[in-house]
Amino acid sequence: MKYNYDEEADVRTTALIRVMALFFVGIMIIAATTSPIATGTKSGERAPTLEGKFYNGSAWTDFNLESYWDSEWEEGDVNGQWVAIEFMDTDCPYCIQSAEQMGQNAYDFGGSNSEWDGAIVNFIASVTELDIQGHDSSRSEIISFRNKIADSGDDCGSSDCGSRPGSAHNFPYVDDLDQDNMKKWKVSGTPSYYLIQPDGIIAWSSAEHQGEEIRNAILALVPRESV
Amino acid sequence: MFYLLPTLAGLLLVLPIGRSLSGPFESTFPSLKSVRGRLFSGLILTCVSGMAVSFQTLWISSKISEGGNFCASNAILSCDDVIGNAEYNVDPILGIPWGGIGAAVFAILLYLAYSSSKEPNASWVAMHLKLGTLLTFGGFFIIALLIYYEFQMEKICQYCSTAHLANIVAFIGFFRLMKMNETKDWENVWAQVDK
Repeated sequence: MKYNYDEEADVRTTALIRVMALFFVGIMIIAATTSPIATGTKSGERAPTLEGKFYNGSAWTDFNLESYWDSEWEEGDVNGQWVAIEFMDTDCPYCIQSAEQMGQNAYDFGGSNSEWDGAIVNFIASVTELDIQGHDSSRSEIISFRNKIADSGDDCGSSDCGSRPGSAHNFPYVDDLDQDNMKKWKVSGTPSYYLIQPDGIIAWSSAEHQGEEIRNAILALVPRESV
Repeated sequence: MFYLLPTLAGLLLVLPIGRSLSGPFESTFPSLKSVRGRLFSGLILTCVSGMAVSFQTLWISSKISEGGNFCASNAILSCDDVIGNAEYNVDPILGIPWGGIGAAVFAILLYLAYSSSKEPNASWVAMHLKLGTLLTFGGFFIIALLIYYEFQMEKICQYCSTAHLANIVAFIGFFRLMKMNETKDWENVWAQVDK
């Protein structure tokens, strides 16, 4: 009987099969025991970090969006607190125009309105300075815009910040003048809105729903006791 | 500790002091009597450990992305903060998690070491050892980058550090085997036993 023996091939093939088997067992264990969620700014993705200093009405202090997340939250639970983020520029005309609506939304859904029986929505404004001529902002301008301070010397757009529509806001304004957060969130223009579930997963974004108002998204997505 | 112990055992085996430590096991594992056998044993042990700890970091990053916690801590040792950092936990070019890259690289290193140990006198062994040395040397740059990330975060990931140590041990093992492969000692296993 004739035997063919190839000493160049057998060990490498056997070793390769064994190592690959070990590798795929590892991959299968991970696939079977986890359901990873990508980090990003589309619906269903985990919201990226948003850090910096925020103005709370009295001082600039550290802000970290992650402090809002509740990993135990389950869909439909009205006790979880949602987050609505507006990426804005104090010199952007449409941001100035929508300031009134943002203030109204923050009042209606932020826990102050007894008629709202749904989960609390925390509003946050992340203020950037777009690279457009005439869009020169500062922390002082952010405060003037937020608190609607008249004759502060800060111009929002081409008008006095105190003349913007709506009343003063009481939600946090995060300083993103260096555009760090805006770039991280891949925000292409202002204003941009995101509605985020209490577990940190993005539920809605204005970029994916052109022409829709965040107010309608809140009414449609945030759970209510009466529904 | 579960991954650190085999990595440290691998380190001891690939170092010249390995002989004094492998003594009690030589009757059970005769291959440990030779330098080449100890180097291969240490290398395989380290590559398996490196692959396992890389899989563990990949699992942790997947769990954190679900919203869970695994090893969060306010102390400097907090793997959740490092592995869960979306900015730093993937490679900057393809966006693949570092744990996945580590597992794949250690699988390749394991293949190179394991196949060479099974047929040490084959003509392709020299190439496998050079490739292993080159890969693990390249790993030093990745380690430097990941340590830089840890400095940025002011946190240390103990699982990642074990994988880094495994790469260093694997480099020592591959380098020593590559050098030995160029000498006559390589084929004369019994001469190594007497040394």
